[in-house]
Amino acid sequence: MADRDGHPAPVSTAHGFGRVLVAVYGLFALAATSRSVVQLATRFHEAPLAYLLSAFSAVVYIVATVSLGRGDVTSRRIATVAISVELVGVLVVGAASELSPEVFRHPTVWTGFGSGYGFVPLVLPFVGLWWLRHTRR
Amino acid sequence: MTRIGVVTGPYATAIIVVALIFAALALILAALDRPAGLGVLAGGAVLEALLMIFAVGGVVQMVGSGHDFARAEFVGYLLGCVAIPPIAFAWGRGESSRAGLLVIALAFLITPVMVVRVQQVWAGPLG
Repeated sequence: MADRDGHPAPVSTAHGFGRVLVAVYGLFALAATSRSVVQLATRFHEAPLAYLLSAFSAVVYIVATVSLGRGDVTSRRIATVAISVELVGVLVVGAASELSPEVFRHPTVWTGFGSGYGFVPLVLPFVGLWWLRHTRR
Repeated sequence: MTRIGVVTGPYATAIIVVALIFAALALILAALDRPAGLGVLAGGAVLEALLMIFAVGGVVQMVGSGHDFARAEFVGYLLGCVAIPPIAFAWGRGESSRAGLLVIALAFLITPVMVVRVQQVWAGPLG
């Protein structure tokens, strides 16, 4: 199928810049998953809230990576939801960790708006949503 | 007897240098919009071989050590080091454009970070 400019539509989210974006998402999926596996397996009792949040962020990154990487119409919807959740997550956890640091002494990817990861977790959902918009046509 | 650790010694530094050289190569090729070619592929193979030895040496260093550090995290980072380049090459080569090269460059760039994290976990207290 093509639109009147002759471009194929819809555009996959997995090509061009999307190739790099999926790689960055994959990296965060890997980082968040391994961090939360270690946290849950070795010291869950120390900070259940922070470690469950770690696990939750890991799931969000995995879903975003896979759905952006598949790039079909259904995946695009799933990606939009996952990345929106990611955006809310990093903003809420970031703000909460500033307001009550004693609850977030044990770090998650989203603590301090992702300061432990060069604030990439804060920028990433904006880039992801922009990319979904950009490829929507 | 003083032994030079695989994780903390010049071997780790050599990995970082090799990774950065090939990251530069991949970025230059991407900037020129050239295909990845054999040089980048060879760089990935060399780096992966170095990282496999790094991971095995790291585990040996860990087993032979009595000091208190986050062992599960340490092994996790070592496995991550080994896993990243093949995944990046598989994903990056799915696309022959400059984006594919950037994915591979990202893997080369992240390797030094991973090696430094391995060293931090080795040095640091639990936490």
